[in-house]
Amino acid sequence: MENDDQTSARRKFIRVATIGASAACGLFPLASGIPAILDPVRKSSGNTSSVPWSKVAPLLSLPEDGSPAKFEVVQEKVVDAWTTYKDVPVGAVYLTRKEDDVVAFNLKCPHLGCAIDYRKKSNDYFCPCHNSSFGLDGAVTTDNSPSPRPMDTMEAKVEEGYVWIRFQHFRPNIADKIPLS
Amino acid sequence: MKVIFDWLDDRSGYRNLLHEVLYEKVPGGARWRYVWGSCLTFAFFTQVVTGTLLWMFYSPSAQTAWESVYFLQYQVWGGWFLRGVHHYMAQAMIVLLVLHLMQVVIDGAYRAPRELNFWFGALMMGVTLALSLTGYLLPWDQKGYWATAVATNLMAEVPLIGPEIQKIVVGGVEYGHHTLTRFFALHAGVLPAMLVGLVVVHIYLFRKHGIHVKEPRPKKDSYFWPDQILKDAIACLAILLAVVALTLYFRGAPLGPPADPANEFPARPEWYFLFLFQLLKYVPAFWGAVIIPAFLALWIFLQPFIGVTRPGHQLNIGFWWTLIAGSVALTLLAFAEDRENTRHLAAINEANWQAERVLSIVADEGIPPAGAVTLLRKDKENRGRLLFAAHCASCHRYNSHDGRGYPVDDVQSAPELAGFASVEWLTKLLNHEHYISDEYFGGTEFKNGTMARKVLAKYTTEEKALMPRMAKLLSDNANLPYQEPLSEDERDELLSLFYNDDLVFQDGLACIDCHDIDSEEEGYAPDLTGYGSDEWTVAFIRNPEDDRFYGDENDRMPCYGRDNKLTDEEIQILSDWIRSAPAE
Repeated sequence: MENDDQTSARRKFIRVATIGASAACGLFPLASGIPAILDPVRKSSGNTSSVPWSKVAPLLSLPEDGSPAKFEVVQEKVVDAWTTYKDVPVGAVYLTRKEDDVVAFNLKCPHLGCAIDYRKKSNDYFCPCHNSSFGLDGAVTTDNSPSPRPMDTMEAKVEEGYVWIRFQHFRPNIADKIPLS
Repeated sequence: MKVIFDWLDDRSGYRNLLHEVLYEKVPGGARWRYVWGSCLTFAFFTQVVTGTLLWMFYSPSAQTAWESVYFLQYQVWGGWFLRGVHHYMAQAMIVLLVLHLMQVVIDGAYRAPRELNFWFGALMMGVTLALSLTGYLLPWDQKGYWATAVATNLMAEVPLIGPEIQKIVVGGVEYGHHTLTRFFALHAGVLPAMLVGLVVVHIYLFRKHGIHVKEPRPKKDSYFWPDQILKDAIACLAILLAVVALTLYFRGAPLGPPADPANEFPARPEWYFLFLFQLLKYVPAFWGAVIIPAFLALWIFLQPFIGVTRPGHQLNIGFWWTLIAGSVALTLLAFAEDRENTRHLAAINEANWQAERVLSIVADEGIPPAGAVTLLRKDKENRGRLLFAAHCASCHRYNSHDGRGYPVDDVQSAPELAGFASVEWLTKLLNHEHYISDEYFGGTEFKNGTMARKVLAKYTTEEKALMPRMAKLLSDNANLPYQEPLSEDERDELLSLFYNDDLVFQDGLACIDCHDIDSEEEGYAPDLTGYGSDEWTVAFIRNPEDDRFYGDENDRMPCYGRDNKLTDEEIQILSDWIRSAPAE
């Protein structure tokens, strides 16, 4: 009897050891790359104070009547993984003038990120993907608008006749405006 | 739970399959000598998984390959580890291949009815070597670039279609984007797919004929599960630990400076190809590329038939042992020759320097879209070394080498310039013994000039003791970036020594009698105003025959600027480099 117990215990140990060692070998290759795959999550800093100011356009190039004009935003230095670019367009904005002040709207729809059009005829903003529409102040204008929030504004200032903005993207399709970082 | 498994089994029959896989009979019981096949499968599995993960980071083009690998290695969390596991497992795979092959040969497992499987195994070995070769290029660093150039040039040795094969593999005549896209597709797509197919056939054939039992049988028969699998898993675990240990010890796989066709590097393949590399020193490339592989293929094909008889089997074993012994000997010889070769060691050091240098530039300014290689090409420190080596080092030396660390064959015939114009350098210059030595003017006419014969040689012990102070004054003119300037009081005091105001030099002569500092007169000897400064050094390199310097006393120093041998920019880079803190 005792012998049988010993044999069965030994067999059990062998099975457990085999499964353990095989599992370790089987999982190791994938495990060795998991930190690398998760790297983008680690790198989100949550810190938006480092968003640089970009010089966009002369104030005088904006229509005085407050109707919007579209400009591309060029950033001095853009790092894409390993490459450092200089002076590249990173996106576009609608700028509207309010006397000596300027309001900047991101071109991207807060719904799912399509590019918003300005409609001259109805003097409003309209997203051609899912029909969100916005007033000139950026507010949602229809009750059943797919966009959960108004168009995204960005910090803007006028210095020595030029409009500067801090260009940012925001998390899509939620009511709050949370910068992506 | 059981219900789900029952359903799954009913629909798929997986239990039968599992049973089939696990309960393969192992006659004579589980043995360590049977583990190599499983180890190789494990190694290949690791390569497929880690390789797929690496794929998520790699970008195959001449401007992004090195750069994306750099990013993975240095910027991505644990990227170095992932790369290291893939790199060292590839090497483990080669070792395992040899072990598996030798086990099959010694046990006679290649003979009937297993001939076909032996040939498939040989094919798999070829594919694995091709995987190593293609993978070596992908980081697009100097090592991979130059070694692959050699490997692909060997392809051109194939009769009739060789040059076309080479063109197809390289993607043209020059190495570039298409070389990388092709090698990458081969490395990550074509070859692994081939290997997967071959593994399936190999294992199928293995199962068909069962394990080849080495007599005598040590124990009673058992099954693959769990006894043999336990041994296999322990062996795999040992390999894994070795790979992890190597990865941790070397902090991942090496990454050399970015590939540059204009920047020479002594091509060496990975260690397991070194025997072939060494062999090509003795036999024509055609032998290495065609005759030897063809002979090997023929032998492998015939081996099962040769091995039918006992002496034939012994011959086969002897053949492989001889091949291994020969390869080991050639490999050791290759290592030994490189270790003795000072130029090779200098080239390795130079590549290491460039690799570190490019990292520090990237840390400062990032990588431009044109790629990291442009950083080194534009780097003034790197260019300073290159210019010195090309234009100055045949006469001058820098720490006894050519500025890049290479020994120089020509006899030194002009001063050592590491630390040029520093207090230390000038103190030695003003010592007669050093002045007439090869380290300074021993190889020039100035060895017998006025300064040597009539001035330095005549100084008394007390006067000699003043020379370090004189060196301090002169060196202050150089305004070297790594030296503190003198205080005004100290400078005035030293200038009075230069003018010999207090008549400390007993012959009554002052330095100012021949050399100028801050005066309008043109002296007979080189003007020392601003000696060693940026302006002075640039002007001197431009035209040492100017009246301000050697005039018609110049001894062989070329007038680089006056005669358009170097551009103004190059002279400036040289001057900056010579005046920078002396490196090793």
